[in-house]
Amino acid sequence: MTSPFITSALGIILLVFGGIVLLPIGVAAIEGDYRSALPFLAASAFSFALGLLCRWHGRFCKNFDSMRHNEGLLIVTLTWIVTAAIGAIPYLFFGLSPVDAYFESVSGFTTTGATILTDFSLYPRPFFFWRSLTQWLGGMGIIVLFVAILPQFGVAGRRIFFAEAPGPTEDKLTPRITHTAKALWLIYLLLTVLEVLCLVIAGMPLFDAVCNSFSTMAAGGFSPHPLSIMGYQSSAVTWITTLFMVLAGTNFALQYKCFIKGKAKPLITNDEFRFYLTIIAATSLLLAYFLFRMPGGTVSASLRDSMFQVSSIITTTGFASADFALWTVPAQAVLFAVMLTGSCAGSAGGGVKVVRVLFVARFLIREIDQIVHPRAILPIKIDRVTIQEDIQRQMLSFLLFYLVLLLVSGFAVTMIEQNAAVGFVGTAATIGNIGPGFGEIGPMGSFGNLHLATKVIFTIDMIVGRLELIPFLAMLSPEFWSFTRN
Amino acid sequence: MDILIYGTTEFSYLVAARLHQQHNITILHDSGELSDKFGNLDVSIVEGSGGDIAVLEKIEAEKSDLFIACSTIDEANIVACWTIKKIADTETICFIAKAALYKNFSSITHNQYQTRYDIDSIIWPEQLLTQDIFRIISVPEALDVEFLAGGKAKLFEYRIKENSTIVDKTIKDCHFPKNVLIPGITRDGKLFIPNGATTIRLHDKVVFIGTSMALDTLAADFFKHDRKVKTVSIIGGGSVGFMLAEKLERTGIKVKLIEQSPQRCAFLADSLKKTLVLQGNGTDLELLESEAIAAADACICTTDNDEKNLLCSLLIKQLGSRRIVTRVGNIQNYELFEHVGIDVVVSPKASALTEVLNRIQAQKVDVIALIEGGKGEVLRLTLPDTFQEIRIKNMQLPVNAIIGVIIRGHKVIIPNGENSLQARDRLKIFSMKEDSEKIKEFFFA
Repeated sequence: MTSPFITSALGIILLVFGGIVLLPIGVAAIEGDYRSALPFLAASAFSFALGLLCRWHGRFCKNFDSMRHNEGLLIVTLTWIVTAAIGAIPYLFFGLSPVDAYFESVSGFTTTGATILTDFSLYPRPFFFWRSLTQWLGGMGIIVLFVAILPQFGVAGRRIFFAEAPGPTEDKLTPRITHTAKALWLIYLLLTVLEVLCLVIAGMPLFDAVCNSFSTMAAGGFSPHPLSIMGYQSSAVTWITTLFMVLAGTNFALQYKCFIKGKAKPLITNDEFRFYLTIIAATSLLLAYFLFRMPGGTVSASLRDSMFQVSSIITTTGFASADFALWTVPAQAVLFAVMLTGSCAGSAGGGVKVVRVLFVARFLIREIDQIVHPRAILPIKIDRVTIQEDIQRQMLSFLLFYLVLLLVSGFAVTMIEQNAAVGFVGTAATIGNIGPGFGEIGPMGSFGNLHLATKVIFTIDMIVGRLELIPFLAMLSPEFWSFTRN
Repeated sequence: MDILIYGTTEFSYLVAARLHQQHNITILHDSGELSDKFGNLDVSIVEGSGGDIAVLEKIEAEKSDLFIACSTIDEANIVACWTIKKIADTETICFIAKAALYKNFSSITHNQYQTRYDIDSIIWPEQLLTQDIFRIISVPEALDVEFLAGGKAKLFEYRIKENSTIVDKTIKDCHFPKNVLIPGITRDGKLFIPNGATTIRLHDKVVFIGTSMALDTLAADFFKHDRKVKTVSIIGGGSVGFMLAEKLERTGIKVKLIEQSPQRCAFLADSLKKTLVLQGNGTDLELLESEAIAAADACICTTDNDEKNLLCSLLIKQLGSRRIVTRVGNIQNYELFEHVGIDVVVSPKASALTEVLNRIQAQKVDVIALIEGGKGEVLRLTLPDTFQEIRIKNMQLPVNAIIGVIIRGHKVIIPNGENSLQARDRLKIFSMKEDSEKIKEFFFA
């Protein structure tokens, strides 16, 4: 592993990111709130400075074609850690402590949507715009963005592209990775614009519509409204957001084929997508039943809230159309179950991913069949294709690691907070990049009152969860860090 | 008719043996040992490559009416067919045994390719066999099933079992439905053409020919037709086993398939959707018992090894299977298989031979089905315009044969002696193999 290589690549990313941080200044200008522009100028300046420093250390290296696998993993991880740090700089100016600012920033970039804010009225609009923008950038993936807009990465782009989203399936839309990255951002952008239009037509103010759309399509969950989607008190807004959340949790490569290329078949016949819709439909009906049984439940409201909430949690968005922390225990149990499922692979959402759940289900059914027919050859198929042994092993070990991490982090937080609900639901909500949990960290609550150590653990959980564990696990090996200086 | 055959496979011998007395046959073969049995045939044998224009010109290939490429190598067959097309417009038949290549040629759209493939017909014996087996097992209890006149008329073959109501009755006392004929009966391995006074005996194999509806009534009234085929076991996962399983699972039948090679098993399990693929030996009694192979509505032994097929079939029969279809590779083993009590014996070569005979349109007569491993044939012919109308009972056929179906315009007639034949009628005639030439002479003399 060569450090100049890594710093040089990181340098390029930081230089471009320094430009992106300037975007909220536009909002500040429209609002005439010039004082709010300062934090973003500072962050941008810092990003440029650090970027140049990295470039200098990396001897302005421009050719990354010989990048190795480990270097790719490290660049991806560092990109996420460092951009989140730069993204936290503006928050410092608005009075957040360093840990809180970093937590909020990581929560944004990883599209978690867990917030430490308690009083929303203290902050100006550019602040909320930046929160939503970080989610939007993180939703499709920062690396995907850089691969799309920076031609420098070339061959190495392929490496870091798949290192960022190491899902079990490699869907490349086009032979060249830059074109794939552009295609993904195109469909992402179009859906976002469409949602803004729908929300504005439904009567939401433009600024809120933009911010909420950014958070929805990224499966993020930051809303400029302190009461989340519930605050708009509109059925139309709730239904529109539900639809776009479901889309945000669907594989974007397949959506590109469906909406841009007009080939609906790959999407409709996709096993994962069908299973995803089935889970949403089944759990929504179950949840609607529990909600209807609660005092004052009506059919339309229970259906609307259950559909919205299940979509919000399964896609790992984390919006709330009602304070589900106040719901009955069976209703919360349903939500916790979908919390562990997550969205489709290749979508903006996080979590375990539906395809892995589907695989485990078929794996278990296979084991039962094998007992009945000991001599039978029973492949596990997804999308009518047999899953190879090594991919099977990867998926099973992923699940095992996910579980181990969930338990370790859950126990640690439980001990720190002396509260098992915060420990385990909070861990599930942060590793899965969902956002709000139950109880005091519920949708109307805040992570702000938690212990400092808890915030640090949750911050790590969010990054590790967003990168799907693998880069993180690789870094635990001492062999990974064998640098050579040349 | 001049026929040029490329390749010295078992199949080219079979075609040559069947046709060498009526047609002029030349066999072209690549250098190497030639089996002795070709010496017994009245054919000319030339050494050389089918893809070599010089060789083809030397043997005056352009004068031949039909070119059959049936060497062991698919690509060589294709090239040979293309080469002969360069020098003459000869009809070509090409043998292919690879699924990917076969699909190229057989697909309906292949005429829309940028340039045409330019081969007249493609034969894949295994694929024909698959169709034959599929057709047979789709009719419960039947030993053979053929579709005539696009399915408007059918041919079924049944074995007469102990509890049958027609044992020891003469045919005219049996009260079969209208529009059903019995053109042939096999008793003790011998096929003969019966008349109304013939008595049906236990274990006879009786061929019925008739309209589609009448045969269905017959099947329901005289043979158990109440149980549909729901489960099928297949031993051997080669091309036939694979294609058959694919076809069966598409019609909703539950299939269990036993294959020995682990690699092939992996391929089968990957490619088939619902079939249960079992890795093991088809002669492993324990496996057959634990997976209840014999309990299926039909068992099909289709490995590429005759000995294994035989042993498998006997084991499964012993375990109580109701219906066994067994593939035989070497035609000479056909009778042995029948003799030891296997109900349905099928062969890819017989299937391919029917197909080839079908294409040899000498004097507007062709063979559309072989019965009992080739002992009987169903001929198809169209009466010439000059044909004088005549009642069947007044017609003096030189040999014993049965006119099974008359197709007149869109009408399908199952004739009796009172019906008459007219010019341009299309006939399906059941006859013994050795008599087919005389029938042709009679109608076209």
